[in-house]
Amino acid sequence: MSTFTKVLMATAIAFPMAQIAQAEGKVEGIHHWVSESEVGALKVLTDSLATKGFIWEDSAVGGLSGANATQALRTRLAAGNPPDTMQLLGYEGVEWANEGALRSLNDLYAKNGWEAAIAPAIQPFVKAGDDYFAAPINMHRQNWVWANKAIFDKYGIAEPKNWDEMIAAGKKLKENGVTAFALSDENWQILEVFEAILTDQNGTDFYKKAVIDLDETALSGPEMIKAFDTLREVRGLVDDGFTGRDWAVASGMVASGQAAMQIMGDWAKGEFLAKGMKPGVDFLCFPTPAATPNYKFVIDAFGVFKKDDAAVAGQDAWIETVMDPESQKKFNMIKGSIPARIDVPVDGFDDCAKRSFADRDAAVNAGTMVGGLTEGFAAKPQFAGVFSDVVGQFFVSDMSSQDAVTALVDGINNAR
Amino acid sequence: MRRSPSFKDRAAAWLPVLVLSPSILAVFVGVYLFICWTAVISFSSSQMLPRYDFVGFAQYVRLWSTPRWIIAVENLFIFTALFLIVTIAIGLVMAILLDQKVRAEGALRAIYLYPMALSFIVTGTAWKWILNPTLGIQKVVNDWGWQSFVFDWITRPEVAIYCVVIAAVWQSTGFAMAIFLAGLRGIDNSIIKAAQIEGAGLPRIYLSIIVPMLRPAFLSVIVLLSYISIKSFDLVLALTNGGPGSATEMPSTFMFSATFRRNQMGVGAASAMMMLMTVAAIIIPYLYSELKEDRNGH
Repeated sequence: MSTFTKVLMATAIAFPMAQIAQAEGKVEGIHHWVSESEVGALKVLTDSLATKGFIWEDSAVGGLSGANATQALRTRLAAGNPPDTMQLLGYEGVEWANEGALRSLNDLYAKNGWEAAIAPAIQPFVKAGDDYFAAPINMHRQNWVWANKAIFDKYGIAEPKNWDEMIAAGKKLKENGVTAFALSDENWQILEVFEAILTDQNGTDFYKKAVIDLDETALSGPEMIKAFDTLREVRGLVDDGFTGRDWAVASGMVASGQAAMQIMGDWAKGEFLAKGMKPGVDFLCFPTPAATPNYKFVIDAFGVFKKDDAAVAGQDAWIETVMDPESQKKFNMIKGSIPARIDVPVDGFDDCAKRSFADRDAAVNAGTMVGGLTEGFAAKPQFAGVFSDVVGQFFVSDMSSQDAVTALVDGINNAR
Repeated sequence: MRRSPSFKDRAAAWLPVLVLSPSILAVFVGVYLFICWTAVISFSSSQMLPRYDFVGFAQYVRLWSTPRWIIAVENLFIFTALFLIVTIAIGLVMAILLDQKVRAEGALRAIYLYPMALSFIVTGTAWKWILNPTLGIQKVVNDWGWQSFVFDWITRPEVAIYCVVIAAVWQSTGFAMAIFLAGLRGIDNSIIKAAQIEGAGLPRIYLSIIVPMLRPAFLSVIVLLSYISIKSFDLVLALTNGGPGSATEMPSTFMFSATFRRNQMGVGAASAMMMLMTVAAIIIPYLYSELKEDRNGH
């Protein structure tokens, strides 16, 4: 807390105080949802909040995958004027909870029995010490393959069961002049592929050791070298125009048949649905191939900031709206993700979402549910950054797998 | 008889101070105070939030053992050197050609100056497509029938930085040209006539007389272009986003990602201080020598 107070004092001089009066019955929230489906999904929640008698005051800050919204929050906190609530990504919420800026939600969790309604694997991102500080609204799965069904049918390709089959399928497509993977040279897109390979080949225990615990032996082991070798194979199956390609453009390539597959989280599903394509009929969705299936989650959660007592009622109403099963269902049907609550029924969702539900249940039981590294739910940002640097550099150059592993270990140690 | 200064005189003396003080205060707080604050942070262990402890040069050591930072510094020097030399050379030649009383000079000048009106984001995005081998120049030439033509610099880490130079030169050449042209117009015609009477050829006149007389124009162009190159953040972001694989990372993009995306505020502050010192090391001696000579000369 003392550090936080110092932050307040130091920066309060620099930022003019912009005190917005706390109006009765209003809940103000910062988030970075600005695309059409995101705004539509958020409206489900705010409409539901309105029935509880509170008006949503929207403070959307789009851009840079949430980095702009984070900046806005820091400025507001420094000026002593936090919002009522904020969308929290990755370790952001944990840091604020440790600074003492977020209010504990333990009462609400106990009253409504929410602890049993969320997967244990996401606890590190909604709970700090003994206190729950955030309510998760949705869950995206990161390790998906999106495929063009017509191409798969034409060349007789079935859903691969492991990465060897996946690469073999890619080579077959290449021989026939088809781009196997729609990918970009953006580091994060390459990292999504790399971490899928790493987890699929070596299991989630190895992933936890190498990527979450950053164990040096695991990081420099033969498993890492093999994963880089496989990524090198993927490099050979990508077209020449991959520079600076947006992920949505890559999805479009698969949708239009210019490429066969894209490895991307399930936010890509919306790109296919928006073109009127149907899962299982026009496009395929299946998890990246692994001997033991795993589930890489990405969640959005809302935390509430410590303010005066007048704000509490509205904040509680908002958190209860977020955790309401019916709200979660409607929200996620629009957003393309699945509810963060594991007890929401699947009916009404599309086939890809149904598979996501089933795989999640299996992963929770088997203990193979892990956070996605690329989206900030595994290693902390300073380490995740090293992974993306090395993987990106490896992919666009002719660096050897051994050199990549050395660079990775050195980089991680330097950032510790 | 001396009369005491009237209210009007006193107001006239104080008015400039009064008018300037808000902006001086704003600059002092917005620039110098924050430079000091950044310096403090660079000696602390700050990660996501500022922390006011003291860890000595630890963040600087960490910074200089980060390969991405080394790439960024190399890139800054490659980029700045090439960008300055090429822009000034092309800009000067264009200005001299345009100074030969060509027809429709006004229209030509406007055309060359137009890229300057674009934001670097627009320039970066346009050149991203132009340089993309499957969309831009390479594809056009291939479609014309020259199948083996390859221009894929933007996909190759070792040469991608030159793509950034190309885009930046395209944007800034017209601006350099305009300043040189203004400088050329300021040169007294009688000097040229005198040289001609003495029997000097045109190349000789330009090299020995006119270009040296453009010294003030050179000063403006160099100072303005260097600062464009150091804040080339938005161009890199739009054109390559630091890629492929960190190959076009610049100190400014490094600083941004360390501070705001990777929770390494201390490293970010250290990199900002390194940038400040680099700029100071180049600009201060140059300004000093130029301004000093100017005083002595007149």
